Order: sequence, then structure tokens, then C-alpha cells
Amino acid sequence: MKRDLLRVNMSDLSITREPLPEGWHRYGGRALTDAIVFSEVPPDADPLGPDNVLVFSPGLLGGTSAPNGGRISVGAKSPLTGGIKESNSGGQAAHALARIGIGAVIVSGKPADPLARYCLVIEADGSASLQRVDEWAGLGNYELADEIAATRPEGDRYATIQTGPAGEAGAKAAGIAISDPKGYPNRFAGRGGLGSVMGSKGLKAIVISDKGLPYTEHADKDAFQAALKRFASALKEHAVTGQALPTYGTNVLTNILSEAGGLPTRNFSEGSFEKADDVGGERQRETILARGGHEHHGCHTGCTIQCSRYWMDKDGHYKTKGPEYETVWSFGADCGIGDLDEIADLDRACGNLGLDTIEMGATMAVYMDSGKLAFGDAKGALAALLSGAEGGEPGRVLWDGALATGKAFGVAHIPVVKSQALPAYDPRPVMGIGVTYATSPQGADHTAGYTITANILSVGGNVDPLKPEGQAELSKNLQIATAMLDSVGLCIFVAFAVLDIPDAFTAIHDMVEAHTGDPWDPDALMQLGKETLVFERLFNEKAGFTSADDRLPGFFKTVPLPPHNIVFQVTDEDLDSVFDFVPETAAQMGVS
Amino acid sequence: MQIRVALFAHLSRFQPDGEAGREPRVFELPEGTTVGAVIESLGLPDEPRVLFVNGRHAEEGTVLSEGDRLAIFPPVAGG
Ligand code: SF4
Repeated sequence: MKRDLLRVNMSDLSITREPLPEGWHRYGGRALTDAIVFSEVPPDADPLGPDNVLVFSPGLLGGTSAPNGGRISVGAKSPLTGGIKESNSGGQAAHALARIGIGAVIVSGKPADPLARYCLVIEADGSASLQRVDEWAGLGNYELADEIAATRPEGDRYATIQTGPAGEAGAKAAGIAISDPKGYPNRFAGRGGLGSVMGSKGLKAIVISDKGLPYTEHADKDAFQAALKRFASALKEHAVTGQALPTYGTNVLTNILSEAGGLPTRNFSEGSFEKADDVGGERQRETILARGGHEHHGCHTGCTIQCSRYWMDKDGHYKTKGPEYETVWSFGADCGIGDLDEIADLDRACGNLGLDTIEMGATMAVYMDSGKLAFGDAKGALAALLSGAEGGEPGRVLWDGALATGKAFGVAHIPVVKSQALPAYDPRPVMGIGVTYATSPQGADHTAGYTITANILSVGGNVDPLKPEGQAELSKNLQIATAMLDSVGLCIFVAFAVLDIPDAFTAIHDMVEAHTGDPWDPDALMQLGKETLVFERLFNEKAGFTSADDRLPGFFKTVPLPPHNIVFQVTDEDLDSVFDFVPETAAQMGVS
Repeated sequence: MQIRVALFAHLSRFQPDGEAGREPRVFELPEGTTVGAVIESLGLPDEPRVLFVNGRHAEEGTVLSEGDRLAIFPPVAGG
């Protein structure tokens, strides 16, 4: 398995290809983007300046037929948090890059002309070029996808990576869109403002053709197929990955979180939403089927869980993907909006502008909390969101996220950690996720250590969500395991099966070993997760983060949340124990 | 005593009225009825499930009281 680095310098517009350094050959995906950002970005760099780099990396299993193995990691210093960022996405780009033999694309520098726009085109034969596309400036992601399609030869197979108007405007909530198997730019490396890092480099789009390319070669094909079979059957067998996710999608969570009192409602002031069932996964499925929509497919080829779906408007036309649970929560319960069509309109607007729906929904709820807009006013929310397009108010403030908005409009309860908005689980009645929000180097991020499994869903054991005991340990183990999955390139939803079926975990290292030809075992997998987190923690430390940044906003510890009327109770000491392995692992790696 | 029972995802078709839907139905039950007894009377399939009584995790042995809300989910997840 040969992997190269493709270096793209936006200052002098040069492109070079070099072999992956020996010391990084066990890294892929998140581990590799972290290693590169850690090694190449000065911790005090301006995130939108020439010294930041933007890295795209498939995981170790990218380009293979491993189930759910086509996730991509996007890394840089974050304009939102000021720390290191890894944002993970589905879509076709990881497979395409891996099949061309690219382990990472590293975009550095910045063009002298701020109005210049470029498209990086990587062809299936490995040739790469930067094309000047100033006329694409300001295009929304859907129009941009159409423009790109018009430049490609008949019968091509390609993936796109795009930034929308929000990214070009330098918005801190801008995400990067990645095309799905049908070519819709609807999968997102959403979090942390990476769309504006791409925009700052004048890079409007990347096109990667993998037409005619086979799966990447394995060191031991038969062993790979045997391990793959075991992994695939575990995913089929588990009730969540085999049934619930394909049938109802991620939004199956809305009703259960509302039932558990952990669905943040009207800017984290209540834990149950009276209209949860009107926007939940069951209703979503009924509506999609009635409108002739696609109710389950993979966000990339090779996904066997297939939690993705398309939302159709009332006339049966494609509107947007999902919407996913996090979006249904952010623009739904958190904004007091109880209508899936209204949520889909907001999702589509964010998708086209290139904005992170988690950050933007949470931001809109903060804006509503200021009294400037009523909770539940979906039309007003859409207008406010769109007003940013011409640099207008309040949109341009909102596009910088919940913290900027809360400060600008004087809101008392601003739900952010490391300047990034909390996602769809309130940390008071779900204390494990509060540990992840507080301590993750990414800022508040549920995917970083998804304790909802044992806290709410009875997956991988049970840890009472209403008590502080055991939460730090749970979060720590999940953060390590997640960093590993993000580096191998597997969708984290495989974890639901892996946590309950031991052979699924064994099958992962068997697949990696058979594919790469290097020896892998359970300890090596966990070491990969730890090393990934070491890069992130050390980068943040150098960027000025301290244990004071590993805390939830004060109101979570003082204002009880109905219906359980409970506050977050995990001690600071417990929070500080989560990354206790860092010094030892850093010493083993020889980094500091 | 009266309790309310809500069933979610593919379990909702097991409501006694056969109407599916996630809204809770009122059940008239003798004092001391357990969650497990309700599950049995509903004829739910023998597979893992997640149980809540008044928004707190419950077990099949949990004894129900007047006014309780029982919610039953099949294994679900997302994120
Ligand atoms: S399970 Fe869902 S998010 Fe994961 S790879 Fe498949 S479609 Fe994408």
C-alpha cells in the first residue's frame, strides 16, 4: 500500500508529490492530519493566514472495500476554537484520494490576490493542477457542483471538496462540503470553521477523479477478505447498525433523548421538547416514504449501515440530505421549531452557504434567547441566516457562531466549550457527554467520545447518566477508541457493534494488518488512538490552552435542567484525569 | 391504577389498538404491576430494548405506580 503526500502551495501555486515519511506510515486519517498540523503549523499562527495548513486524509482503510471504511479527516488550526481541529466526513473523496495513492493533501500558503479563486484538479493518473476559477467566487455549494460537472468529461467518476460563500467570507462557522455518491455536495466536515481556512487560501474546490481505478491493493488479499466478512456480519447482526440506523437514520435519537430529558430545548433551558415526535426519525421516515424519497443509502460507497437519506420537498424534489439528528435538534428543539420542512429549509440554506448546521442552529437558539427573534420563528431564522450573504446583519455575526452571537447580543447562557457550540445532548442529565464536551481537544464535540452509548442507549454497558461516577473513565476510553476509528477511516457508527461484539474489534486490526502488511493487534490500535490525542493535546497546550479550558460554561453547574432538575456534577479532578496518559505516551513517541 | 405507555420505532405497532403512533395510551392496571408484566401483555418481540419510567432508565422488575409514564424503545443509536 503506497501512500504519498500531495503538497499544494497557494503562495507560489506549486504542487509536489513526495512519499509519506517513514515515521508516519502507521498513521492515516485523523492521526495523519494531526501529525502534520502538529509538525507544520506554528501554534500561534493566524488560522486564516499563510502559515496555517489545511490537510485532507483518508484513513488507513481508505480506498478498500472495508465496510464503512471511506471516511475522510480534514485538519488545520481552527479559526473557531484557536486550537487544533480534525473534522470528519463521509462522501466519496477519501476513496478517490486513496485509490490515486494519496495519503494526504496538504494545502499551505495563501495567494497574494484575495479575489483569486482556484480549483485543484487531481486526475485518476495522479496528475494535479491548479486552475484559476475567479468566476466561481460566491457560488453556493449546489451551483458550484453544477459548474464543476460542466468541466468534466462525459462518463467521468469524481468526488468534490468545496467551500461555499461562508468560507470565502471567513466565517468561523463555515464547513467544507464533500460530495456523496450521487454528486450532491451534502456531506460535511462541518465543525470548527475549516471552510474559512479553505476560503482563506483561495481554494474554492478540489476535484478528484478516480475513474477506472480499482480498490487499493492489499498486502494479503485473502486475509483481508476473511476479516472483512467477519466485520460485515457483526455490523449486520447488531440491532443498531443492522436495523435501527438503516431504517430510521440518525434522527431515531430525537424521541429517546427527549424521553430521557436530555434533548436541549430552547437554548438549553429544558430537556424535553413537546414536539419531539413531530420531527423525530419515525415521522421523518413516514414523510420521506410518502414523498418518494430515498430512505436509506450510504454517504459513500462501501457503507453497509446506510444511515443516510434524502429529504424531498412537498412536490417530491430533492431538498437536502437527512436532515441528520444533530440538525433536527439544533434548528428543531433548540430553536423551538417543530416542523421538518422548516428544518429542512434551514439545513438546505446552511448546506448551500457552507455553514455547520450544529453551530448555526445552536447560534440561532442563542440569538432567539436574546429576544431579537421568537423561539419557533423558522421564517425569521431563515431570513437572519441568509442576511449574511451580502455581509448584512445579523447574518454576518451569526455566521461566526454561538459565542460571537451571544456576546454581541448580551446572552447569559452561551453553550460553548473552547468557543465551539455544544451539540444535541444536555450535559446535566447526560453527564458522560459533559466530560467529552469539556475535555476534548476539539471543543464541544459529541463524536469525540460518544458516551450516549452507555449513558442512554444501553450499548456497550450501562453508566447511569444522572450520576457523576464513572463518566470520566467512560469518556476517556471512548475518546481513545474514536481517535483510533477516525485514523483507520471507519465511520464511528461501527462502534455501536464493536462495543457489544468483541470479534468486530478483532476484525478491525485483522483488516488493517492484512491491508498494510504491518503487524497490528488490540494494543496497537489503542496506541494509535492515544498518539492521535497526544498530538492534539500538545498542540493546544502550545496554543495556550490550560485545564481552565477543559470546563463547561458555569450555568451547567448552577442552573438545574427540567424535567430532572439536575446540574452537571462531575468534579474538576475527574475532568483533569481524562488525559492522564498524555505524558507517558508523548515520551514513547518522542514528542513534546 | 392508570399509567401511560408509549412505544417507539418499530415497536409502536404493538399498541393494543393496532394504530401504531408514538403517542402514549392509557392502561388500567392492578397496583404492583411491573414493567415486565406490561411488556408481556403487549406481546413485544423477545429482543433487547431500552426502558424508561418517567424519563429514568428502568428494568423489567421495576414496579409501576399511579400516573407513571412507561416508554419502550428497541435498541437505537445515531449521532
Ligand atoms: S453509517 Fe451513515 S455516516 Fe456512517 S458511513 Fe454510513 S451513511 Fe455515512
